[in-house]
Amino acid sequence: MAATIAHAAVHHAAPQGFIRKYLFSVDHKVIGIQYLTLSLIAVFVGMALSWVMRIHLAWPDAHIPLLGWLSPNGAPNGLMTPEYYLSLMTMHGTIMAFFVLTAAPMAGFGNFMLPIQVGAADMAFPRLNMSSFWVTLVGFILACATFVIPDGPPLSGWTAYAPLSAVGPVAGPGQGWGQNLWGLSIVCFCIASLLGALNFIVTTLDLRTKGMKLSRLPLSTWGWFIDAWVSLLAFAVLLPTCLLLVLDRLGGTSFFIPSGLVINDQLQPHAGGSPLLFQHLFWFFGHPEVYIIILPAFGIVSHVMPTFIRKPLVGGWKVMTFAEVAVGMLSFVVWGHHMFVSGMSPFMAMVFSVPTLLITIPSVIAVLVWVFSLYHSNIRFDTPLLFSLGFVSLFISGGIGGFFLAQPSTDSYLHATSFVVGHFHFTMGLSAIFATFAGFYYWYPKMFGRVMNEKLGKVHFWLSFVLVYCVFMTMHLTGFAGAVRRYSALVDDFMVQLIPANKFMTVAALLLGATQFIFLFNVIWSRFKGQKASDNPWGATTLEWDTTSPPPFDNFGGRQITVYHGPMEYDGDASVMQTSPAASVAGT
Amino acid sequence: MSSNRELTMSSYVAIGGGLMVIVGIEVILTYQHLPTRTLLFSLLCLACLEAYVAIMYLMHVKYERPVLFWTIFPATLFVLVFLCYIWPDAFRMFNMRLLQ
Amino acid sequence: MSQSAVASVSHHEVLMEPSPYSMDKKKLGMWVFIVSDACTFAAFLFAYGYMRVGAPVWGTPFGFSSIANGMIMTAVLLSSSLSMLAAVRASQVGEKASSNKWLAVTMLLGTIFAGLHLREWYKLIAEGWRLFYNPTGGAAQFGAAFFTVTGLHLTHVVTGVIALAFVARGYKQGCYDESHVETAGLYWHFVDLVWMFVFPLMYLMNAH
Repeated sequence: MAATIAHAAVHHAAPQGFIRKYLFSVDHKVIGIQYLTLSLIAVFVGMALSWVMRIHLAWPDAHIPLLGWLSPNGAPNGLMTPEYYLSLMTMHGTIMAFFVLTAAPMAGFGNFMLPIQVGAADMAFPRLNMSSFWVTLVGFILACATFVIPDGPPLSGWTAYAPLSAVGPVAGPGQGWGQNLWGLSIVCFCIASLLGALNFIVTTLDLRTKGMKLSRLPLSTWGWFIDAWVSLLAFAVLLPTCLLLVLDRLGGTSFFIPSGLVINDQLQPHAGGSPLLFQHLFWFFGHPEVYIIILPAFGIVSHVMPTFIRKPLVGGWKVMTFAEVAVGMLSFVVWGHHMFVSGMSPFMAMVFSVPTLLITIPSVIAVLVWVFSLYHSNIRFDTPLLFSLGFVSLFISGGIGGFFLAQPSTDSYLHATSFVVGHFHFTMGLSAIFATFAGFYYWYPKMFGRVMNEKLGKVHFWLSFVLVYCVFMTMHLTGFAGAVRRYSALVDDFMVQLIPANKFMTVAALLLGATQFIFLFNVIWSRFKGQKASDNPWGATTLEWDTTSPPPFDNFGGRQITVYHGPMEYDGDASVMQTSPAASVAGT
Repeated sequence: MSSNRELTMSSYVAIGGGLMVIVGIEVILTYQHLPTRTLLFSLLCLACLEAYVAIMYLMHVKYERPVLFWTIFPATLFVLVFLCYIWPDAFRMFNMRLLQ
Repeated sequence: MSQSAVASVSHHEVLMEPSPYSMDKKKLGMWVFIVSDACTFAAFLFAYGYMRVGAPVWGTPFGFSSIANGMIMTAVLLSSSLSMLAAVRASQVGEKASSNKWLAVTMLLGTIFAGLHLREWYKLIAEGWRLFYNPTGGAAQFGAAFFTVTGLHLTHVVTGVIALAFVARGYKQGCYDESHVETAGLYWHFVDLVWMFVFPLMYLMNAH
């Protein structure tokens, strides 16, 4: 056995004063909660945007209260213009994809839990970690600022395709300062994510406590670690993409704007760029991004499940980790499947289609691990497990739609229909959100010292689970029928007949949104009135459960933490904590 | 942990000199009226050679644990290789232009 | 470790797993940063290449004076890498004064590089080059590609010089040690490494 003696002199002075403790804190736990709070605010902003969009789709002539106040130009008297619909859609996607889905499972829970799970006192670079959060917050403020500027938010989609996003105000409302602020917001997010990824990688490699070999890392830590590598490489390419876009807009360059482009009878003074280049560079990031979103979810669910099925996952850490690494690597070679109808080389379409189909293999391996692990297990249907199982269901449902989109032939029809929207909401949006909920209910006792209300949790789960299927499975069907995405009104004759389905989806979506207030209430109420939590209320095994709830400022109160076991040593009610010198349980 | 002291300073200066020689070769090649593709390929090969020397010696990777090399290189190379998927569309763009 | 100390200050030694890279966490962090920065530069260079491949007439505007200037810049940057090496080597054996002297030399060479670069830029701008305008009649995107790529590199050089100043000061005052010098050295070598690609691709490929 290689020498495990590496030691570090650890100096930790507990922070004093409100500002150092809760505001400009370098403590990873505080930073994690700050990210989660940011995501919680962002998700309600993003949901509100979706409610307004859905109301407009179902009742295009509706005058929506408050909307006219928010944007007199975009929604005069509350009647939404088609341009404003696109603006709302753009910011819904941007806020949800970046500030909720990328931030919460990774930066939120990862920051709180990863150092504790590896046995460290903090992240490798605590001040860098603090700046990552504050830069993310600046990015969020810039994104929200697009709503209050006169011209409104950009309308080019979260994907911000050139030349629409690159030519400036001539392209439409929101394409002036709205798009500029958007670009700056994303640049902030890129920088924060890159620095965060760096922190996660170095912490996992260098700051593990004695006995915490890589083979003993909890699966959530593996998820965050692999995700950090994918993040590092993908955001490194998004940063130049956004910078080039800003240069096209403000510097007069023509990276993405072709010659001879005429907009509103004005010939644009640009020469020789390529919109396809933007799409390539964007999706080089954009596809790994969806896996950046889902890998922490894989990790969280893989971490939560063993606790409630009281047995390790099938295949142990190796199979799940292999699947995650394979998914992470393959995610970089499939991005062209977003571009099948863009005018990209048809040969490249095949080159992208094949690995897109191949990436289903490690995804299915992961799904089978979760499903097969349930066999012969001692299941406790607590809320974290319900959300974990919900995650598996949603991921399967969304994943099946992926087969159709992976092939250029079928994708030619389905591209830009609501089938795609249903697909990515299942695989990316809802799955990651359900995994985040699982993490919330699971780790809330550790983070705040109180348990969340279990009854409310179950109501939250069942209502959400049924309603998400109502909304997004219907969306697959309307997509098959030809409903075009990003249309603000269904007026063509083949789409008019889909209006009843849209009304159904809208009602379900509004109910789904209302259900989330149950969660919000539970989060806030339990913080003050919830039952006090013990150190290890779930009977779990990993290091975060070997300290107080909530943990002290240096995570373990200065104790030497030594790890003797892997993270999934369960056998029915029996379990062995990672830090327990006792022998392993049978079967592990 | 010793660093950069496995070789003497004069060895490093010699390495630096070697790198300047490679730069000199690059400049000479530039003025040989080679076809663009050949020049590009040659320059890239020479630049990669320079990079290898710089990484191994100046950045000390040769004397670090092999796992560092096998972490850094494959990750970076992976991105560089798969970014090359964009080239077919660049060449198509040349052939599909309306304006000249 | 006294009980009263634990309450507000945790000051102790803990046993940890050794780093698989056997290196200080700052150095590993810098390597990880270098990977991401390399990918960022690569994306800019690929965008340049994409535009150039697709352009009907790109033009090769650089005369020998520009190439000669570029060679001098290369020599300056390479020398600065060597002086940085000297600084790191000196810090490894505790020769603080020598190390700081070599750090100062590195900063000076970096500043000279930046100065030569900016002088070249001013010359080009005076000739009419812009991000969106090519006075020789070739592709208008030449300026965009050139100023973007070299501008990003220049930003890294300037940032590096400033960082070295902070490291030198901290090292002198004793709050930084040789690991900080080595980490900064790694960044500086990376900046040189990028130039090894920028010079052939942006200058030599555009020489006539």
